[in-house]
Amino acid sequence: MFNVKRSDLGLFGLLIFLIAIGVAGCGGTPPQSMLVPASDAAEKVTGLTWFLVILLGLIFLITLALLGGALFLRPRDGGDSSFFTTTRFVVISGIVIPAAILFILLVAALNTTVALTQPETKLTVRVIGHQYWWEVHYPELGITLANEIQIPTGQPVRLELTSGDVIHSFWVPRLNGKMDMVPGNENHFWIAADRPGTYRGQCAEFCGTQHAKMAFWVVALPPEQFEAWAADARRPHPEPATSQLRQGRQAFFRAGCDTCHTIRGTRAQGKRGPDLTHLGGRLSLGAGTIPNNYGNLQGWISNPQAIKPGNLMPRVYVAPEDLHAMAAYLESLK
Amino acid sequence: MTAETQHAREIPEEVKKEFRDTWEPPVGLAGWLSSVSNNNIGSRFMLLGFIFFLLGGVMALLMRTQLAVPENNFLGPEVYNGLFTMHGTTMMFLFIIPLLEGLAVSVVPSMLGTRDLAYPRVSVFSFWTFLLGGITFFLSFLVGTIPQAGWFAYPPLSGEKYSDLGMDFWLIGLGFVEFGGIAAGIEIAVSILKLRAPGMTLGRMPIFCWAWLVTSLMMVFAFTTLLTASLMLELDRGFGTRFFDPEHGGSPLLWQHLFWFFGHPEVYIMFIPATGIVSSIIPAFARRPIVGYTLVVTAIMLTGFVSFGLWVHHMFTTGIPWLSLTFFTAASLTIAIASGIQIFSWIATLWGRRPAFSTPLLFVVGFFFIFVLGGMTGVMVAIVPFDLQVHDTYFLVAHFHYVLIGGVVFPILGGLYYWLPKITGRMLNERLGKWSFWLAFLGFNLTFFPMHNMGFEGLPRRVYTYPESLGVGHLNLLATAGSYLLGLGILVFVVDFLLSLKYGKQAPADPWGGDTLEWALESPAPQANVNSPMIVHSRHPTWEQTSFDQGNELQVRARQALDYAPLGWRATLGTNILTGEPEAIHPVSGPAYAPFFGALGLWMISIGLIVKLNLLSWFGTGVMIVAILIWTWTSEDDLRKWRESKLDEKFGLPIFTTGPTSLVWWAMIGLLTVIGVAFGNLVYSYYYIRLYSETWPQGSLPRPDLLLPALAHGFAVAGAAPQFLAGRCFRHRRLWRTTLALAASLGLGLLFIGLQVYSLLQLGYGPSVNAYATLFWVISVLFILVVAVGVTMNASAILRIWKERREEKGFAPIQVEITGMFWYFTAALAVGVYGVLYVSTYW
Repeated sequence: MFNVKRSDLGLFGLLIFLIAIGVAGCGGTPPQSMLVPASDAAEKVTGLTWFLVILLGLIFLITLALLGGALFLRPRDGGDSSFFTTTRFVVISGIVIPAAILFILLVAALNTTVALTQPETKLTVRVIGHQYWWEVHYPELGITLANEIQIPTGQPVRLELTSGDVIHSFWVPRLNGKMDMVPGNENHFWIAADRPGTYRGQCAEFCGTQHAKMAFWVVALPPEQFEAWAADARRPHPEPATSQLRQGRQAFFRAGCDTCHTIRGTRAQGKRGPDLTHLGGRLSLGAGTIPNNYGNLQGWISNPQAIKPGNLMPRVYVAPEDLHAMAAYLESLK
Repeated sequence: MTAETQHAREIPEEVKKEFRDTWEPPVGLAGWLSSVSNNNIGSRFMLLGFIFFLLGGVMALLMRTQLAVPENNFLGPEVYNGLFTMHGTTMMFLFIIPLLEGLAVSVVPSMLGTRDLAYPRVSVFSFWTFLLGGITFFLSFLVGTIPQAGWFAYPPLSGEKYSDLGMDFWLIGLGFVEFGGIAAGIEIAVSILKLRAPGMTLGRMPIFCWAWLVTSLMMVFAFTTLLTASLMLELDRGFGTRFFDPEHGGSPLLWQHLFWFFGHPEVYIMFIPATGIVSSIIPAFARRPIVGYTLVVTAIMLTGFVSFGLWVHHMFTTGIPWLSLTFFTAASLTIAIASGIQIFSWIATLWGRRPAFSTPLLFVVGFFFIFVLGGMTGVMVAIVPFDLQVHDTYFLVAHFHYVLIGGVVFPILGGLYYWLPKITGRMLNERLGKWSFWLAFLGFNLTFFPMHNMGFEGLPRRVYTYPESLGVGHLNLLATAGSYLLGLGILVFVVDFLLSLKYGKQAPADPWGGDTLEWALESPAPQANVNSPMIVHSRHPTWEQTSFDQGNELQVRARQALDYAPLGWRATLGTNILTGEPEAIHPVSGPAYAPFFGALGLWMISIGLIVKLNLLSWFGTGVMIVAILIWTWTSEDDLRKWRESKLDEKFGLPIFTTGPTSLVWWAMIGLLTVIGVAFGNLVYSYYYIRLYSETWPQGSLPRPDLLLPALAHGFAVAGAAPQFLAGRCFRHRRLWRTTLALAASLGLGLLFIGLQVYSLLQLGYGPSVNAYATLFWVISVLFILVVAVGVTMNASAILRIWKERREEKGFAPIQVEITGMFWYFTAALAVGVYGVLYVSTYW
């Protein structure tokens, strides 16, 4: 009997060891970790998380210790006269103590909830979820972007969230929690970043085939840089300067890309796909799927279905020389 | 001690044999299609549920393989999305619920000391709907369009625009399983209330039965809601209604409310029976009654009740104001107290008893570890700011697998090791059992513990792959390795089970020293469960009683009445809800084909509708109507046997009953509850949509006319008045007056139907104009159907009265009574429907 139990304990030990590996084994700066917050609000939630993990972890261990006591201790009379076999024990440990702890938790929850209530904001960003990309507008600034949101650091930004098709969910873990984007409905939320940086966000409500590759970046800039960026972003594009770029633009129209895409300052006014006015300056292509560079851009144009199967951009044949020009042209749109 | 050995008087062998034959199902295919015995049906439920478990498990292993490394290409996004949708649905609807139902169908009757469930044909009907529903689910693989909208199928993604035919198969399959679930719920509740052993007061009832009483009531409410909602979604998809269509005034969030109003209780519908299993195993192994019986029962009831007030905690991120969400946080935390009571009661029961670590207890200990951890994370996700981060991430995946596998599957496996000897008559192998446990336990924790951390690192759920930069690759590899171990553990159990059937030791009557009645029966339990009713004086009859034939005069009389009797027809003892004192002898159905054909007809109708094969639907309608007629029309042959047995005269216990003594009366209560809940769901939807609409009626639709519908609904209300007269006249055996009254009610019903159909046709718009029109039409048409059922019941009651005009005893009294019940309910519903659809629009 005793042998069995010792090996049982050994297996428990092994388990805890493996769990520890699991928890410990992560390095680098995780781009989407709620444990590395970059805003006041996210930091409060991280604090709450650690509080919950430690408190509830302790309770878990105490409960297991009691179970261990129940299974392995050998009181002389089989425990019949022990406090631990009385209804009083059940009432105290099953009702009184939990009620007290849960009350504390409720207060902590309320406190954090109040602290997360939307503060005064000066800037509004309107984000519309689409099957598998993000449409971004700055109503006050007259700027339209896709899959990337620029914000000034140190100030909360108001978000108006809705969807053009199915339900999506807006989530940048390092900046705040998540909020659903429901068609026919507008939800309000906010984010803030304490320091400059790029923060990854990802759709958190299953929305179809490529839900997994529907990500975006929030780029936080110091306020003065943000102002400069905004002024620049409002400017229409200069005419393409070189013949290659002009050829690229022609190829863009020839391939019919303007049915779905907009490039401000040109006749490309399609609304179905992401606005490409500032594509050249973006961090990634295909809503966070691959890094944005000349090579990837060519790859994406020639076969978007290979990189992100099931996304709504059709494969269109583009002659090789046009492909180079088109990629160069799009890359020039900064 | 077995029931066999405690007979004061000798029963001749040929009587015993004839009695056994009475309960034996027919052999061969005929037997398979027609058997209604709880022992057969329960095993079938469990076996089929377990097969679905293995299928769902294979899907899980495929998914884990895809996720083992970042940017993996093992499965494409579409296959993966289909797999997680089917995995979730299969595990919830085709494995856990049916398997638990099967366990209840198998074990509850022998635990209660009754011979079968209250409506044996209903249990077999719900088995057939389960089988056909399951087949329908998996048909989507055959038609090549696996649904890909997740197990909670949020519209618009699950709507006709974004999901194809597979979604229809999914919804119909779901509807079938739910339909069977509702039927099983009513049946199990009534059985527990009305068919207990003589002397088994409510306070002497095993906790397992308490758990099932609460669960079965929850099933009736929750599954009806889901059935209504899934029919609404199917109407939206296939028939142009607008419940969930935001472009036409509908609301995708309405689905979420309805779904989670079902979906949260669903979790407890799985969990409460599992705690019932734990509360059965622990006292047996501790050889001590459960500490705090009353507290545990209260906790179960509290859980069941509160679980209906928690649904919004699945919707914290949908944009509902945060402070109103806090109410749901508080309510969710009270559940933790209910669980706390049970946890500590189990600890108290085990304290100091040094139980033997046999496999059932091992699984219970594993349950403790996993479930308590899952409970802790449950408390965490109930807290709004924390949930806003981890909602829809792998933290959630970890949490609910801890709760569902640890909290439900481990008790199920423990329960199988505990009860299978009673069901199959063979012991399972202890050594294999321990292997199975340790593999499953380690594998489980390896798989799911790292997922908490994946959630913290920002990995959303339902992604077919993830970039390496998230830094969760090694955690996923660990999880995948763990999942193979878990799969191996389950495989060892399957091997153990199969081997036991052939090589297992013959199971003794009571291998574990349990305290409940089933352990007094031989293993496997006889087809009739109890050959003679067992009189109960204790909460722990097998521990504290040496015989089951002593009792008060009534109890002894009831025992004599059913001692290896009756022969040639099946009957069981009806007892009082509170006291368990005998009050009637209830005939129960023998083998029947009607449930199979009823389910098959319904299936043909549904499939015909979704694949637009009208001929199939019409044929199915015919099959179903014939099956219902055969089912509900008690045969003359049966009635004659019951009358001629004279058991009622000899022993003073009625065979033909009315009122709350009668099982038919309770079936009617169940039916009315289901109709009431369905209308409640629709009325909720009506006001929900109205709350979010700028104008009401929406668009430029006119308010409905008041006058003609007032007259129509007035007729529906008036239809109840003659029912009162019919009841009184029939008690005085005034057959002509009764007939006249019933005919008047029938006529008023027809008037309502005629007028209401006319006024709907006068509306000038169809149900697909907008969500308002949809609700108006659907509620109206549904109510017309209700009245049509009332009309049919009147006709059937009139037929019955004249058929039995020369008989003193028969089915006529209860039939007149339930027709009256149905009409009183219809009258109340008419007032409600008129108030909501007509009057309230003028406010």
